[in-house]
Amino acid sequence: MSEEKIIAPMVGKVIKLNVKSGDQVKINQPVVVFESMKIEMDIMTPVDGTVKEIKVSPGQVIEAEQVLLTIETL
Amino acid sequence: MSDQMMEKIKNIEDLRVKIKQGGGQPAVDKQHQRGKMTARERIDYLMDTGTFTEFDIFAKHIGRDYGLDKETVPADGVITGYGKINGRDTFVYSEDFTVIAGTFGEMHGRKICKTVDLARQMGCPIIGMNDSGGARVTEEMGALSMYGQLFFRHVRTSGVVPQIALIMGPVAGGQAYSPALMDFIFMVEKTSYMFIAGPPLVKAIVHEEVTEEQLGGPSIHAKISGVSDRTTKDDKDCLDKTRELLSYLPANCHERPPYVQPDDKPDRLTEKLIEIIPVDANKIYDMHEVIKEIVDGGKFFEIKPEYAPNLIIGFSRLNGHPVGVVANNPTVMAGCLDYKSSDKGSRFIRFCNAFNIPLINLQDVPAFLIGSKSERDGIIRHGAKMLYAYAEANVPKITVVLRKAYAGGYLAMCSKDLGADFVFELPTGEICLMGPAGAVNILFRKEIAAAPDQQKLREEKLKEFYDKYVNPMYSASLQHVDDIIDPRKIRLTLIRALEISLNKIDELPKKKIGLTPV
Repeated sequence: MSEEKIIAPMVGKVIKLNVKSGDQVKINQPVVVFESMKIEMDIMTPVDGTVKEIKVSPGQVIEAEQVLLTIETL
Repeated sequence: MSDQMMEKIKNIEDLRVKIKQGGGQPAVDKQHQRGKMTARERIDYLMDTGTFTEFDIFAKHIGRDYGLDKETVPADGVITGYGKINGRDTFVYSEDFTVIAGTFGEMHGRKICKTVDLARQMGCPIIGMNDSGGARVTEEMGALSMYGQLFFRHVRTSGVVPQIALIMGPVAGGQAYSPALMDFIFMVEKTSYMFIAGPPLVKAIVHEEVTEEQLGGPSIHAKISGVSDRTTKDDKDCLDKTRELLSYLPANCHERPPYVQPDDKPDRLTEKLIEIIPVDANKIYDMHEVIKEIVDGGKFFEIKPEYAPNLIIGFSRLNGHPVGVVANNPTVMAGCLDYKSSDKGSRFIRFCNAFNIPLINLQDVPAFLIGSKSERDGIIRHGAKMLYAYAEANVPKITVVLRKAYAGGYLAMCSKDLGADFVFELPTGEICLMGPAGAVNILFRKEIAAAPDQQKLREEKLKEFYDKYVNPMYSASLQHVDDIIDPRKIRLTLIRALEISLNKIDELPKKKIGLTPV
């Protein structure tokens, strides 16, 4: 069991969270929608697992490399 | 008399057979157990059957101390020579890990230097297969000096013939700078590492505990450092990819890249683009799909696919002619140009220019990445590399604006102003000084603030602005684009523009060297 951190690829704003704590996620599933440089983009989970902790909320401004949520992998 | 001659010949040939056994069967077995081919097996697999000619097989070290004097080191741990790849002459060197871990000694280095010199003089590409435990410590200055000799040669050969490094085992210490001075680096999964100091030294000197994989494994160099151009799954895959890469490259800077009879029609309509490219500029799509729809047979050899994937670079063909493709990918970081993608793109543009490979530029760029992190990462310095590389390049440069072409990003993806020979725009193109929404907010700030319904006025002004300045008719009317084209005719349009540009002459002003931003 290990923890995977989902990080923001760049500065921007969180538009929507597609998952909540405890949800099961599959690799490449979009978990966060964020906006930057005039485009809305999905952030995908690189691993299968369970959402452990969500660290941001919609509307929140995020920095590059900020942790958005954590996923517990099997 | 002739018996004596036959005996002399036999003695030499017996010795040759013995040397070809490398470090002996147990060492060869160990190499195979690691999933690696031997140095000679690699050469045989890479080159056309029976074409390899070896030189300096009898090279012998001159170590006098620390037990090396009593050691036999077949071929001094590296096999050098020339032969054909897809029928084209190529020089190779291949380090033999079965022979005292492929360590780099004075004669070993001298053999590699000679190979690089010959490749340059004969105008042939050079492929270096690296599999070495690093410098042979027992040879001291002999090894260090040869590193320097080799680095000097890589630099003097740069831009004359293509230099390709394959990392097929460890490459440690100063030796890591040899591949770094070459044009492309492919690494093999699980068996290859590159670092300037290995885990024991790192632990002793900077107190960090890391594995070889964490320090310099293929994924680190492919995704994070950008040192590697491709990760390959095993030795054979690495050698196959090398043959494929070479198929796009000329033998030297005086030749054109090799034309191959195409198996795709030049006038094939690129129908899928209608579905792939969303009209709404806020929606994303994968630019790989666009590239594959346009090029011959959908074949695209991507370089650095995992590093800065917001910019796609690689080789392909249009109606049989090799081209270098540079394309923004809206799927990643909105396709913006950040410091990493600028660094990646500019190096590729310079390579293509050095070897007469025309550039095809596919634009969908919302600008250079802005913000404090981007400024601190040096986006001004690194972004300037893109401008410099395109302006400096005198190969054919053909650009298509698919959607966004905002601000400096438009110039940095090769506009007419940066020397593009032809620029085409799709009906969805949006070339402008800054993002339209931002422009409207600045231009009509006071009016919008005073309006009873601010949102309504903003939308009206935005529409007016789009019609006047973002409309492709505006850029076409000013001759910034040659034509507004149907997406289904991109392939045909590009092929026609490319073929008329193949004899392009664009002399640069006489100077010693240009000072590209680094």
